[in-house]
Amino acid sequence: MFPKNTFNSYLIVLAMCFGAIGMHSCKQKPLTHMIVMTQNKGDVESRDYSKGDKLQYMSGSRIVAMNTTTPNEPLDELTSDFYSACSPKISYDGNFMLFAAQKNQDDVWQIWEMNLHNKKKKQITSSDHNCIDPDYLPGERLVFSKEVKNKDPKVDTEFTLFSCNLDGSNLAQVTYDPSTYFASTVLSEGRVIAIGKELWPEEKPANFMIMRPDGTKKELFYQMEQDHYITSGATEMNNGRILFVEANSNNQKDLISLSYNRPLHSEENLTSEIKGDFHAISPYHDNKVLSSYRPENALHFALYEFDVESRELGRPIYEDGENNILEAVFVQKKQRPRKLPSEVDLNVKTALLVCQDINFQYSQPTDSTIPAFKASKMEVLGIDSTMAVFKTEKDGSFYIKIQADTPFRLQTLDDNNNVVKGPSSWMYLRPNERRGCIGCHENRELVPGNVQPLAVTKEPIPVPTPKQMDAPKRELKM
Amino acid sequence: MKSKKVKIFFFVIAFLGLIIFIPGRMFVRHHVNQKTAVTDHPLKCTSCHLYTSKNKIVSNLINEDYYSPFNIAVSNDGKRLFVVAQDTGELLIVDAESKTVVQKVKVGVHPHSVILDKTNAFAYVSNQWSDNISVVNLATSKVLDTLITGNGPSGLALSADGAKLLVVDTYGSDLSVIDLDTKEEMKRLRTGSDPTGTALSPDGKKLYVTSRRSKIVPYGEPLVSDLTQIDATTLRVDEHKDVEEAYMMENITFTPSGDLALMTLIRPKNLIPSIQVEGGWMMTHGIGVIDQNNEGRIIQLLTDQPNAYYSDSFDIVVSPDGKRAYVSNAGADKITVMSVDSIRAIIKETPKEQLKNIANNLGVSSRFVIDRISTGANPKGLALSPDGKKLYIAEQLEDKIGVLNTETLKMETAIDLGGPTRITVARQGRRLFNNAGHTFQNQYACYTCHPDNHEDGLVYNMAGKDMGRNVTNTQSLREIGDTPPFKWNGKNQTIYKQDGMRFSTVLTRTEQFSYDDLDAITAYIKRGIKYPPNLMYNPHGKLTESQLRGKEIYNRTKDNSGNVIPENNRCYTCHPAPLYSNLQPADVSTLAVSDDSILFDTPHLGNIYASPPYLHDGRAATLEEIWTIYGEDNKHGYVNDLTKMQLNDLIDYLKSLGGPEQEDEGYQEQQTASF
Amino acid sequence: MNIQTKHFKIIVPMAILVIASLGFVRPEERSPVLNDSSDINTTNNSKEAEKPMPIYGNWKNYDSKNGLPGDKAYCVKIDGERILVGTHEGLAVLENGKWKTYTTDDGLAHNGVLAIDVDQATGDVWLGTMGGLSRWSTGKFENFNQMNSGMPNDLIYAVTCDEKFVWVATGGGAGSYNTYTRKWEIFTEENAPMHEPWTYGVCASKDKIFIAAWGGGVIEYTKKTKKFRDYVDPDGNMEIDLFPDDGVVHDITTGTSWANDILWVATYFGLSRYDGVHWKGYFDHDSGLASNFINFIKAKDDYAFICTDQGLSCTDGNNWVTYTTNEKTNKGKTIILNGTNKKELGESTSLAHNFILGVDIVGNDIWVATAEGVSHGQLKH
Repeated sequence: MFPKNTFNSYLIVLAMCFGAIGMHSCKQKPLTHMIVMTQNKGDVESRDYSKGDKLQYMSGSRIVAMNTTTPNEPLDELTSDFYSACSPKISYDGNFMLFAAQKNQDDVWQIWEMNLHNKKKKQITSSDHNCIDPDYLPGERLVFSKEVKNKDPKVDTEFTLFSCNLDGSNLAQVTYDPSTYFASTVLSEGRVIAIGKELWPEEKPANFMIMRPDGTKKELFYQMEQDHYITSGATEMNNGRILFVEANSNNQKDLISLSYNRPLHSEENLTSEIKGDFHAISPYHDNKVLSSYRPENALHFALYEFDVESRELGRPIYEDGENNILEAVFVQKKQRPRKLPSEVDLNVKTALLVCQDINFQYSQPTDSTIPAFKASKMEVLGIDSTMAVFKTEKDGSFYIKIQADTPFRLQTLDDNNNVVKGPSSWMYLRPNERRGCIGCHENRELVPGNVQPLAVTKEPIPVPTPKQMDAPKRELKM
Repeated sequence: MKSKKVKIFFFVIAFLGLIIFIPGRMFVRHHVNQKTAVTDHPLKCTSCHLYTSKNKIVSNLINEDYYSPFNIAVSNDGKRLFVVAQDTGELLIVDAESKTVVQKVKVGVHPHSVILDKTNAFAYVSNQWSDNISVVNLATSKVLDTLITGNGPSGLALSADGAKLLVVDTYGSDLSVIDLDTKEEMKRLRTGSDPTGTALSPDGKKLYVTSRRSKIVPYGEPLVSDLTQIDATTLRVDEHKDVEEAYMMENITFTPSGDLALMTLIRPKNLIPSIQVEGGWMMTHGIGVIDQNNEGRIIQLLTDQPNAYYSDSFDIVVSPDGKRAYVSNAGADKITVMSVDSIRAIIKETPKEQLKNIANNLGVSSRFVIDRISTGANPKGLALSPDGKKLYIAEQLEDKIGVLNTETLKMETAIDLGGPTRITVARQGRRLFNNAGHTFQNQYACYTCHPDNHEDGLVYNMAGKDMGRNVTNTQSLREIGDTPPFKWNGKNQTIYKQDGMRFSTVLTRTEQFSYDDLDAITAYIKRGIKYPPNLMYNPHGKLTESQLRGKEIYNRTKDNSGNVIPENNRCYTCHPAPLYSNLQPADVSTLAVSDDSILFDTPHLGNIYASPPYLHDGRAATLEEIWTIYGEDNKHGYVNDLTKMQLNDLIDYLKSLGGPEQEDEGYQEQQTASF
Repeated sequence: MNIQTKHFKIIVPMAILVIASLGFVRPEERSPVLNDSSDINTTNNSKEAEKPMPIYGNWKNYDSKNGLPGDKAYCVKIDGERILVGTHEGLAVLENGKWKTYTTDDGLAHNGVLAIDVDQATGDVWLGTMGGLSRWSTGKFENFNQMNSGMPNDLIYAVTCDEKFVWVATGGGAGSYNTYTRKWEIFTEENAPMHEPWTYGVCASKDKIFIAAWGGGVIEYTKKTKKFRDYVDPDGNMEIDLFPDDGVVHDITTGTSWANDILWVATYFGLSRYDGVHWKGYFDHDSGLASNFINFIKAKDDYAFICTDQGLSCTDGNNWVTYTTNEKTNKGKTIILNGTNKKELGESTSLAHNFILGVDIVGNDIWVATAEGVSHGQLKH
């Protein structure tokens, strides 16, 4: 099998070496000029992420690819072997696509990944319940929403955030409160932003919530105006803006821009002058985004380019008379988000919470004739019952060791056990998480004063008491 | 036959390869694990054998001498820039139009600031590491005089009549008043701790001096720093103003009308358990506004935003029309452009009782910040052209002077000072050290808690196990390369480990350093950080009589009664020269109830005079207190037989200690960092 | 250096002349300013003696009823427009007609304030207390004690600011604090010619420091050479001054004060005056001194103000004025001894008490600290 002379054999060895080196260094280059998008024939009027009471994904949707250099050529159907497929997200290297799909009409939705070069698909989740809205996490993982049964029978479904490896292993629950979480997007700083909506004991408006991928440090990112509701997930631009679609009280769906740096007070409506509805957006070139837009009186959503700076809608990139074009994503390599370290330790059953002052008020009352109701106790409310009531320190601080992965709410009480403030929104802490809050303050842009809370000079108060505390069950399966 | 030979040849090669590769790799892995104290560091010989080499030839080969511009002054006609090149000890004279360096004037060691007299006849350069001022004749570009100052001269101002030079002494924590006629120091006025910035009011009547370290108080008491107000006519201190919850007030300036003085500051959260970064729970950065029309009340405003922090605000200047202020955010590579009128509006409408809360509001910056401009690495000193149209920025770790067009708010082509174009590994490490980019939301850099590569004098609750436990005195990073392990509990055997995964989990709370970055920052910390010369307590490298007596006590083996002191209770046993640490853990009986049960890593004692407070939790405000209050059981050295005079001698000796170089050859030959 | 030949001929003889003159004239004789070792004060005094002694009166008293935190005032200092009074209950400050008290609650080291001096260069006030030394600068206190600093002892009897140094006389030795280097130096019987470390007073002249050391007389410290010498009672007699004017009248000294090249030394057994060559002793039986038991002394220009347990005396070395009070009637008495002429003047106002602990004089104002309050007098003539 070897050539007769040694020289030739050396040449072959050399060629093999170069070949090996070449193969090693020849990584797949990201695809260019490709836009993937969801096509759907159905009616999208009812799409409302914020409702949270039913699955948003419409049957029969499919993901197609378009080459922007040859827009007139037929679309490449990527999910022809699925009954429904949607929600495409592109990997950071631009070579793969995550999506949610159902193989057959009555199947549950699962998360899949496709190699965009060879169209090979890999099923990631094998759940008994619907899994939707995936996005890539750094470290070969993904985050997605999974349907779980809610405690309250009045609420049909609740979606909880989970994360797992790209091969489906190492499943981890991210959220633990009686809320539903959808449409997660991983921001470049490493956190996950998702639409979150409290469902129990009563429904509350949906907002954007943000948390670390392990579920720690969950907090409000953007609060919706009254009678407005979110109709798309968030998209991060290179200039630090966060874009999404919001419907106002007249059901006019506009593109909204937030500053990542100050999301609670930087809302700008980019399309108030444009009639018609927007559906979804994603980054395109420079200041431009791909937007799914339906002109006034038109039947279907088409794909448009929208300039965020000039606020001008360009010509349609793609439209057809039969389908709605939704969820278009430009295939490109992008910077990998930061891989945030996790403080979660599953060997620990508890987490710590410190509060600086339960009576903290940003604005001091100027009218001294109005009696100030001062709280002196804190009540920790669980799903079904009170978990603890305890006196706070003189400075209003408290420090508790609370059972991890257990939802709770807080309310302050006066000496006579009358409620002064609360209850708060649902919270939970992950195992070994340490969390701090300033107080029951209205201004969420405040940082704590540099004051040592009296409470941390003592041992934390256990909530619930050690006797009541059970080891949380962590055995998770798809 | 030949085919067989080839087969044998391949077999032998493969076999040898396997023999070398498998055990060799195992050996190397073991070696690297041992040297780095982590198990995941790449098998790169260069990490330890090149980047952190102490060999002078290797060090010279891999490193470069950068200029590291620090501060700037502009001539009255705007044609010349005077740039302090800190690392080469030069004043660079730059033609602003051609953007070229036209003259280099050698000044003292580690110069800090430069100012010009009214007629631009002279430039005064403060030389922080040689305790003097170089008076440069600008007609000849020669050093005309050298004026002796206090310790660590930094910020400079001239009195209104130009007759007095007012010099902030950073290490001495005072202000030297120098009579320019006699060229003698007239007096020193006490300021806050570690001052640098100073500004004279436009009417020439008031001088402010900012401090960087807070007052030393027991842990848990409010953090307060000093802003010293001096009557510039009588040259006496008028007032020591309390700046609450803030420190690191690097620089200060007045508006042209004199209605406001503005200073940079940091609002640290050292009294709060370090449990999260989100929500500004570790560090916030901003400005202090001293309202001259309202009894000099101080309003603090954060320049940070809820999800974005602009760390290590350094310099601040106000445009000639008084409309805009510019702040250099050294840790964020940004210039923050602010509307002074908006600041005026905010302070006008803010009632007294709201001052405390507004100082903690991350949303307020959106009311007065006009723009944030990206700059080169580590922007420090700022200077505006006389017409206010150009802002010159000393980009310390870019070796350039950035030029901001203040009309368009766009950066123009920077002025290249002609330094090395290569960024060495250690230089990259220095950039990382000074940049907050490796912290979640850029909230703080290494530099923030270790200003000047030292420590910030604060005690933090790192919340290692439970909140409220294990409060920790920040340690200096100067000359620690050969003093492992690190941390008070000595748990980190190497800097690779110290700055590795756990560092990102509990401190920076974002993605950990890449291995290349880890190599770079290790190289800088291990070899790039030098002690400033100890000119305060050992100016000539020769011990005084008192220090010699102290040295004898330090090295004594018998107590005053002639009894032998147990070996482990002698000073030199745990703190032997030249590192003044035996690198071993010890129990010195200072464990607090709130501490986990640990032994303390023996700290080195180089430049110990500059590191108050002392002990692991900062309980000792002075060196004396280590023994007068916390050494009663004789476990931290045998001292209770000492007379007060002997203790004074011992402390005098301790204060004289510099680094190993001082021990070897006298620190006057110590070189400035060339990284 | 290049010296041109034509100038060389002139410069050489000039240089010889200058060098020669240096050899013949002692540097101190060239100086028009007298230093503390000069011996021509007698002439000076004889001139001054022709001047009438200053007489103070119109006393106004302050105690716990009208401004002070307590009655016992240990010391008093006039600092520009304000008056600083060290009391047993804190530092009392009279400014703009109003008294304000600072105590340990405000940061003062100890409420018993025994000594006050003001650094004229910086304006900082240095307070010697029963529990440490406080630097009071623009309303803020910085405290030094034997635990947190190199200061010898927390019981501070006297404080003197001298250029960049602050000197203290304490129960554990004298100490000097270098405000530039923040370093303390301690002087006790171990390194200075003291009998024991107890020191009561300290004052500074241009080139010397004088420490009143209990049982050790006066300790003189030369700043330039850092050398000590002591002045003790040559007769060594504890009861009486056996040989008049042979030295300091007694080894138990309670205070020193220096002005116009004269060192005044207070003891519990009389007063001494030293002009650099000659000592002279004064006692209550042979001079106008109110009492031999002297608590404090303050020299101002040509006069010494002597605080005794029997009233306040003032002397120029020859003439005396003593102020006392009748503690029953609160009427004052001014006794003037001009040479041998003695005159007593009745006063409707008087010092707060005869037990005088401190005094300070600036311009026409005199302030006197007594066991029962502080008194403010004005120059009458």
